[in-house]
Amino acid sequence: MGRNILVVDDDDIIVKSCMAVLGSDGHQVSGVTSAKEAMELIKKNTYDLIITDIIMPTIDGLELIKWLNDNYPYLRIIVITGFSSKAVLRDAIALDINDFLPKPFFPQTLIDTVNRTLSTPPKVPVPQKTVELFDTERLLAITQQYRKKRGALITVLQEAQELIGYLPASAQKIIAKGMKIPVSEVYAVVSFYSFFSMKPMGKYNVRVCQGTACYVKRANEILNNLQKDLGINEGEITQDNLFSLETVRCIGACGLAPVVVIDSDTFGKVDPAKTNEILKNYR
Amino acid sequence: MTISTIDDLHKIKERENAKLNDKKIMLCGGTGCLAGGSLKIKAELEKGLEQNNLKDDVKVVMTGCNGFCAHGPLMVTHPDGVFYEQLNPEAAPKIIEDHYVKGQPIERYMYRDTVTRKPVSILNDIPFFNNQILVALKNRGVIDPENIDEYIAKDGYVAAAKALTSMTPKEIIKEIKDSGLRGRGGAGFLTGLKWELCSVVAGPEKYILCNGDEGDPGAFMDRSIMEADPHVVLEGMIIAAKAIGANYGYIYVRAEYPLAVKRLRIAVQQAKEYGLLGQNILGTGFDLDIEIYLGAGAYVCGEETALMRSIEGKRGSPIPRPPFPVEKGVWDKPSVLNNVETFANVPQIIIHGAEWFRSMGTEKSAGTKVFALTGAALNTGLIEVPFGISLRRIVDDIGGGLKKGRYFKALQLGGPSGGCIPEQLLDLPVTYEDIVKTGAIVGSGGMVVMDDTNCMVNLARFFLEFTAHESCGKCTPCRVGTRVMLNMLTEITLGNGREGDIELLEDLAADIRAASLCGLGQTAPNPVLTTIKYFRNEYEAHIRDRWCYAGVCKNLCTFYIDESLCTGCTACARACSTSCIAGEKKKPHTINQSACVQCRSCFTACKFGAVKIGSADKFKQQEVSI
Ligand SMILES: Cc1cc2nc3c(=O)[nH]c(=O)nc-3n(C[C@H](O)[C@H](O)[C@H](O)COP(=O)(O)O)c2cc1C
Ligand code: SF4
Ligand code: SF4
Ligand code: FES
Ligand code: FES
Repeated sequence: MGRNILVVDDDDIIVKSCMAVLGSDGHQVSGVTSAKEAMELIKKNTYDLIITDIIMPTIDGLELIKWLNDNYPYLRIIVITGFSSKAVLRDAIALDINDFLPKPFFPQTLIDTVNRTLSTPPKVPVPQKTVELFDTERLLAITQQYRKKRGALITVLQEAQELIGYLPASAQKIIAKGMKIPVSEVYAVVSFYSFFSMKPMGKYNVRVCQGTACYVKRANEILNNLQKDLGINEGEITQDNLFSLETVRCIGACGLAPVVVIDSDTFGKVDPAKTNEILKNYR
Repeated sequence: MTISTIDDLHKIKERENAKLNDKKIMLCGGTGCLAGGSLKIKAELEKGLEQNNLKDDVKVVMTGCNGFCAHGPLMVTHPDGVFYEQLNPEAAPKIIEDHYVKGQPIERYMYRDTVTRKPVSILNDIPFFNNQILVALKNRGVIDPENIDEYIAKDGYVAAAKALTSMTPKEIIKEIKDSGLRGRGGAGFLTGLKWELCSVVAGPEKYILCNGDEGDPGAFMDRSIMEADPHVVLEGMIIAAKAIGANYGYIYVRAEYPLAVKRLRIAVQQAKEYGLLGQNILGTGFDLDIEIYLGAGAYVCGEETALMRSIEGKRGSPIPRPPFPVEKGVWDKPSVLNNVETFANVPQIIIHGAEWFRSMGTEKSAGTKVFALTGAALNTGLIEVPFGISLRRIVDDIGGGLKKGRYFKALQLGGPSGGCIPEQLLDLPVTYEDIVKTGAIVGSGGMVVMDDTNCMVNLARFFLEFTAHESCGKCTPCRVGTRVMLNMLTEITLGNGREGDIELLEDLAADIRAASLCGLGQTAPNPVLTTIKYFRNEYEAHIRDRWCYAGVCKNLCTFYIDESLCTGCTACARACSTSCIAGEKKKPHTINQSACVQCRSCFTACKFGAVKIGSADKFKQQEVSI
């Protein structure tokens, strides 16, 4: 299964070639040509690895790494640079990077370095996402956009959940403030609807349908087996934050019962004995 | 472009009809088939067409759900109508090569008759399809739901134009009342009457609402309509809005239906561009705006007063009626809420008239009904049948009966508010009046076929678990009563049932029914009551004999091999994951009871029916009696 990688280099050609090389190895690779764009993307998406240049205009690689270490200490980092002076190197290593690759390099060297790095565990445990890193400004903007519209609270919450992945208490506070309503009112709505989650999700959210059509085809055994496979209960998240497990009541694909959904991939006619094979694709 | 007269609609229709004989591949892009990979198949089909220089001759169109999802991904060739099923990306080049280049339909991907195993090439020759009458689903699979012109080509928006330009609200209401159309969302209230009640309430600000919440877990009628034919919902709403005098509408859709949401949004956008929504529609001075509102996953929000609270951005708890929503609905303004399928029937009633609609169905249940047929039937999927058809025809003719070796046990209708109908009542016609007599309801259209591997006590427990979880908690009988019933049922399935439990369940059911505010609580006991009514012996076997015949309740069954039937084929031993079946080839096998984990693999594997399910005490009793 490919992993999510972000390449940052002010040289467009380097970015493109890294993307091509790593993409052909099955990874999902995005690329940007400035640290600023990188920060924007990292706030929005989840990455397994950042590959960055050091010498870049405005914000340089060292600053980016510092920012990463402060905010996303678990992210793996590989530095690529054509300017391999000892001093720069030392600075980079002092900043706790995973690996270092002098330019120019062979495609195979890049693939090997990347895969080696990815096979090591993250530097610090990936947080339970409770270090609530979200874009408060975007969140405020959402509340502003809907403030004048009556009955918009649920819509705001849906968009907020899309932005953050879940609705932590801090986000509920911001929403309450932005919409000029009491926090208790926000909480009352969040806790009423099953669509809203106050807990973070895993990287992959596994949803097992427990609707009637699936249930009569032994969907409960699928749920039991997935709980065993993942070592967690329904509503929990695995230690490595890779998977969270939920049940749903019918996703409307009953003709394919029993159904399991992982993020936006739907698996139909699932054999309860073979749940592990589905998970394999994501491990 | 703006459409301002019926003539404009006809022009679009003519333009589209000129293309009627164009070759098209109608590939299903409904939720089920998309999950099966129809996007990849589309890419491969297009690649194949390009390689054979057919790109300009044959177009690939993604349609909505065809209803036969269990056989998906599927496609129909247009205009010759050949049906191909269970496709995968590898099938695409072969279909292009054989069907389009050589001109020979390819049997390998055709449907096969369940009895003769002969391939059937034309969609309408397949029993699953040819026993259906399509009204609400008439455009499924034949149009591109993201293209308003294709909808117009099928007489789309003609009814809205007729209603807006040449009918008064009174005339519209009369036509709908005369047609006998009843709400398809569950309760079966007369649609025309509901509209009339709202139309006579004075007030400049009224709302027309569409219920696309589809709470019954195991049903997907509304999803399918919204995905395959979103414009028909809009058109129905326009007509209703004119009838009651509303200028604003909401479509409330479950957030779990992202494709339906997307297609509805596109449809609203296109209708606006054509001037069929917005200000001064068709130059008649009538305004209507429609907004899509996403539900957030609470079953009770399908109930009308709760749904309206939810649109107001609040917790979706029902409130007592009266006042009824037709007087005081969303934002305390007069509102009419109808189900998606109800709206889908409206345009055709306006075009063809009430008489035509009444020609289908029965006196009190006119027209057709869409059902989501699921469970143990061979052919499952979405079906539309006229009211009055017998349940048996649905199960046997359309559903194709059950798999060989399985026995029919019950038909579940109406989901958590409905009940189970046993074999001896299968000849009943499907009408609101007849079904309700059985203790079940027609409901919104969920229809689950249960066979001998389903345990009725466990099924009742399943539905109670659902309602107990979904109760909004406002009424104590509903909140606590369902919990108590659920606990009792759970104990019975675990083998801790006691004499008197059945009677106690019946008493509790009556209390909950009488003292709950909304339909959720009032109907919650139905699944328990109907299973007790028709399958009391199964409850008794669980309680007295510690025996779950279906082998579902693990504490209450023993898997064993009947020596007289066992041929020693070793199939069971090979299937067993814990290797607890011993025996030589061609000699009877035995199960080591202490190691068996009751996974039932051996039961499924044995072709001779030699693996049996006995009571939990089967072997213990023998020891005692020796
Ligand atoms: C608990 C509960 C859940 C309901 N869920 C739905 C639903 O999911 N979809 C629906 O159309 N009607 C549902 N209804 C029925 C609605 O309250 C309402 O009667 C219906 O939407 C009216 O439309 P109709 O007259 O066209 O059927 C539900 C009712 C109750 C009591
Ligand atoms: S009957 Fe149940 S769901 Fe309905 S209002 Fe009362 S507590 Fe809520
Ligand atoms: S039920 Fe499962 S574990 Fe028990 S004997 Fe059969 S195959 Fe083996
Ligand atoms: S019951 Fe599982 S998809 Fe409908
Ligand atoms: S989704 Fe393709 S037939 Fe239903």
